Amino acid sequence: MGIWDKLTRLLGLKKREVNVLVVGLNNSGKSTVINHFKSEEERSTEIVATVGFNVEKFRNKNVGFTAFDMSGQGRYRDLWEHYYKECQGIIFVVDSSDRLRLVVVRDELDLLLQHPDVTGRRIPILFFANKMDIREALSSVKIAAALGLERILDKPWHICASNALTGEGLQEGVEWLTQQIRELVSNK
Amino acid sequence: MNAFKRDKKEEEEGGGNPFQNIEKTTVLQEARTFNDTPLNPRKCAHILTKILYLLNQGEQLGTMEATEAFFAMTKLFQSRDVVLRRMVYLGIKELSSIAEDVIIVTSSLTKDMTGKEDLYRAAAIRALCSITDVSMLQAIERYMKQAIVDRNPAVSSAALVSSLHLTKIAGDMVKRWVNEAQEAVNSDSVMVQYHALGVLYHIRKSDRLAVTKLVAKLTRNSLKSPYAVCMLIRIACKLLEEEDSNGNSSPDSPLFEFIESCLRHKSEMVIYEAAHAIVNLRRTTSRELAPAVSVLQLFCSSPKPTLRFAAVRTLNKVAMSHPAAVTACNLDLENLITDSNRSIATLAITTLLKTGAESSVDRLMKQIASFVSEISDEFKIVVVQAIRALCLKFPRKHSVLMNFLSAMLRDEGGLEYKASIADTIITIIEENPEAKETGLAHLCEFIEDCEHTSLAVRILHLLGREGPRTRQPFRYIRFIYNRVILENAPVRAAAVAAMAQFGATCPDLLPNVQVLLARCQMDTDDEVRDRATYYHSILEKQNKALSNHYIVEGLQVSVPSLERALHQYTLNPTETAFDIKSVPLAAVTPADENANKMAANAGGMLITPALPGSKAAVAAATANTVTREETYLEKLRAVPELANLSISLFHSSDPVELTESETEYVVRCVKHCFPEHLVLQFDCTNTLNDQLLENVHVQLEAPDGYHIVRSVPCARLPFNETGSTYIVLQYPDELPASVGTFSATLKFLVKDCDPATGQPDSDEGYDDEYMLEDVEVTLADQVQKVSKTNFGSAWEEAASTHSELEDTYSLSTMGTLEEAVRNIINFLGLQPAERSDKVPEGKSSHTLYLAGVFRGGHEVLVRAKLALAEGVTMQLTVRSTDPDVAELVTSTIG
Repeated sequence: MGIWDKLTRLLGLKKREVNVLVVGLNNSGKSTVINHFKSEEERSTEIVATVGFNVEKFRNKNVGFTAFDMSGQGRYRDLWEHYYKECQGIIFVVDSSDRLRLVVVRDELDLLLQHPDVTGRRIPILFFANKMDIREALSSVKIAAALGLERILDKPWHICASNALTGEGLQEGVEWLTQQIRELVSNK
Repeated sequence: MNAFKRDKKEEEEGGGNPFQNIEKTTVLQEARTFNDTPLNPRKCAHILTKILYLLNQGEQLGTMEATEAFFAMTKLFQSRDVVLRRMVYLGIKELSSIAEDVIIVTSSLTKDMTGKEDLYRAAAIRALCSITDVSMLQAIERYMKQAIVDRNPAVSSAALVSSLHLTKIAGDMVKRWVNEAQEAVNSDSVMVQYHALGVLYHIRKSDRLAVTKLVAKLTRNSLKSPYAVCMLIRIACKLLEEEDSNGNSSPDSPLFEFIESCLRHKSEMVIYEAAHAIVNLRRTTSRELAPAVSVLQLFCSSPKPTLRFAAVRTLNKVAMSHPAAVTACNLDLENLITDSNRSIATLAITTLLKTGAESSVDRLMKQIASFVSEISDEFKIVVVQAIRALCLKFPRKHSVLMNFLSAMLRDEGGLEYKASIADTIITIIEENPEAKETGLAHLCEFIEDCEHTSLAVRILHLLGREGPRTRQPFRYIRFIYNRVILENAPVRAAAVAAMAQFGATCPDLLPNVQVLLARCQMDTDDEVRDRATYYHSILEKQNKALSNHYIVEGLQVSVPSLERALHQYTLNPTETAFDIKSVPLAAVTPADENANKMAANAGGMLITPALPGSKAAVAAATANTVTREETYLEKLRAVPELANLSISLFHSSDPVELTESETEYVVRCVKHCFPEHLVLQFDCTNTLNDQLLENVHVQLEAPDGYHIVRSVPCARLPFNETGSTYIVLQYPDELPASVGTFSATLKFLVKDCDPATGQPDSDEGYDDEYMLEDVEVTLADQVQKVSKTNFGSAWEEAASTHSELEDTYSLSTMGTLEEAVRNIINFLGLQPAERSDKVPEGKSSHTLYLAGVFRGGHEVLVRAKLALAEGVTMQLTVRSTDPDVAELVTSTIG
């Protein structure tokens, strides 16, 4: 392994490996989003509530993603922080049809942004305004306003409407994230 | 592969244990590399190994440390390295009980357990069940059910074993998996079948009928797995034992037939298990035993050492209960004596010693001696126990055995081993007067070079007790005084006490002992000096009575009671001096009671293979001999109405059953004797599940002279609980009237209630009563046993100070002296002195000495001269400080 590693690194062929954290309230569609990124044969047919977390891997444009798909249930949300330190990107999934809990989302987001392992780091944050197919879903602009995303000045962020069941909007989001991470790494 | 080679090389270079010098903090520091991206699986696996090693070495992690390590570990789930992942499972299992929020890995493990990678699945199930608590179990139940019936045997086994573990936290949940477990019993895999049977049994274990059905069904269609059959045999045995203890055993039960048929099974494991089971069943008769023993005999000549060991070990145990059956195997056992495996050889020889004839003892002892130094302490103890049994069986062989024991004493060995040898020698000395002198000589020699303080102290005490009564007591003084010069303080103190015994008992040695004691007064240790001064000044008085009381007899009150009484006394200072008579006397445990306990323990070992269990039994046995009165007193004090009673509980009787054991209400009575009062404690048990009893009390018709002072009812007695009600009586002024019979009736208020909830149907109840058997108060209830080491001198001394009564009786119903002695002891409740309760064989007359204290602190000494001639004639002489007591004793016998 050792020699081969060195060789590929020398030739610049080495694929990039990044860790991303997938967070959001329960039932926002985190596992479904991740499931969609996996290759056809690896996809699981049914998604159940995550307890704790799951690790999934997928690739996009020569970048290998290791996604820590965290559980969104209230009692497990304070376990997210254990994984802040090692992540190079955050995917924040929001259920755009759940107007009632948007304030909870905002609280959780604020907590995340204030965490010592997150503030001050230039971590790209990708927001998915998920479940756009539902009739009463809010638009991504409205969600951005409701969450006060304009306050985030020190981190690149992006919000896109998505439908994880069909995969609509997901590709656009993850391409943005890949781009951001590439830039970050090459700037180092 | 490359990496593997390098690993190997490192190992060789390091030599020995590569983890020898690792430290907890460094390893936890290293665990931070788990957070790196990308991961280095090989390095991480190595660090995980270190953590696991530390945990298995008993290193304790704090909650913070463990949680941090645990969360670092969770990040390793991103690696797809198989070895690393399996290490992670192990790590999760180890840390699951210490770290917080371990629930975090639930989904990851569920994914692995249902995934495609077979190498992950079984281990993931085990890890998952270790992190799951009751509230989370619901979420994984579906997966567990699937896993139990999985086609992969490893997965199925893991799920079954995990279910077994889960029964501890969520028995009801696991009960719902019974159908899956049932299906798994039909599995082709031997292990799955075994584990499934285990789960099924655990689910049904509390339901006897269900277990019986299970066993009946499985015995009919034979199981494929030998492990499962072994398990089935064990379950069947348990059922048989239960049947026996319920008293409804049938001679040819299908269960027993099943076990017997297993003797012809094709697997050796099953055959052995069946033989072992038959041998250990209490009900087994010698006819039923024969096939089992012949199977074991066959195993004795097996080429496999494990089988030989198992067979000879079982035979060794059974040799005690059925020596005749084992004799048949003597020839095979003889062959095993020279077995290259020392454990087998030792067991073979000890078995032969147990069953063998007197003539073969010498030869066998020689054989043991040849390799005794090569076996471990544990087996040496087995040898010692065999020798002990042998000495009791063939008293004439004591010189051979004693020499052997002394040689063993001189060898290297741990405390337990040495103590068992010393114990054996002491038993031999006590049982066999001929062996006394040689035994004492061996012990003297042993303490010359004994590193165990507790043993040395014990032997010195024994020398002090037995030495003065040998033919040449002066021989022992030198050994004892050597201890004063050479040993540590506790041993010196014991030596001083032992010397004083010689001074008090042998007048011709007194001057020499005094000189030595005077020297001891210069000792550096306080305790030794105090003892020397105390004994010296008492011996100086040359007063026989004084030295008898304060040296030979020692302290007779129970030490914990004395401690408490003194504590009470210092708390409430009074003008009067402390009266030691108010302290309850120590209960004397008769020697044969101890022997019974030993026998019971030996019996217990036959039934339960687990040795720790019998150790616990020994501990329990010793614990309960210490303080029967103490424990009762604690209980009495907890009752507020009785708390103001005088603190000095004098004597408590054994519980007496006042009802048949199978009746609606079970009542036992314990008689507590106080100096002026008698307290009757009635322990009542309600065995009717549809009744709630209230205000339970006993109505007593007391004979003349007794006054009922108070009755304390038991307020509530639900189903299956035991409550106590008390009656306090004042003794009559006339002593003879204190022996009598009380007729008793249990009275209570019945409320019908729902059997399921125990809640009464209504507040209305009706009064009811229940006749009990009569309560008898005898002389034995009112005396406490006291052991007198030197009865003769106490008796002489009592001639002048005590009042004496003498009478002659003819005990026509007694056929032998032993029977008479036993009955007299039971009847009077006094302690036999100087081992006079043992009647030498072939004598037609015997003298029995008894000693005790009557309530109120009156000493009672009894000499009973017995002669055998058409029944037993007895001349009874009673000396007591109170003439009334003496009269009571003589009158009750008649």
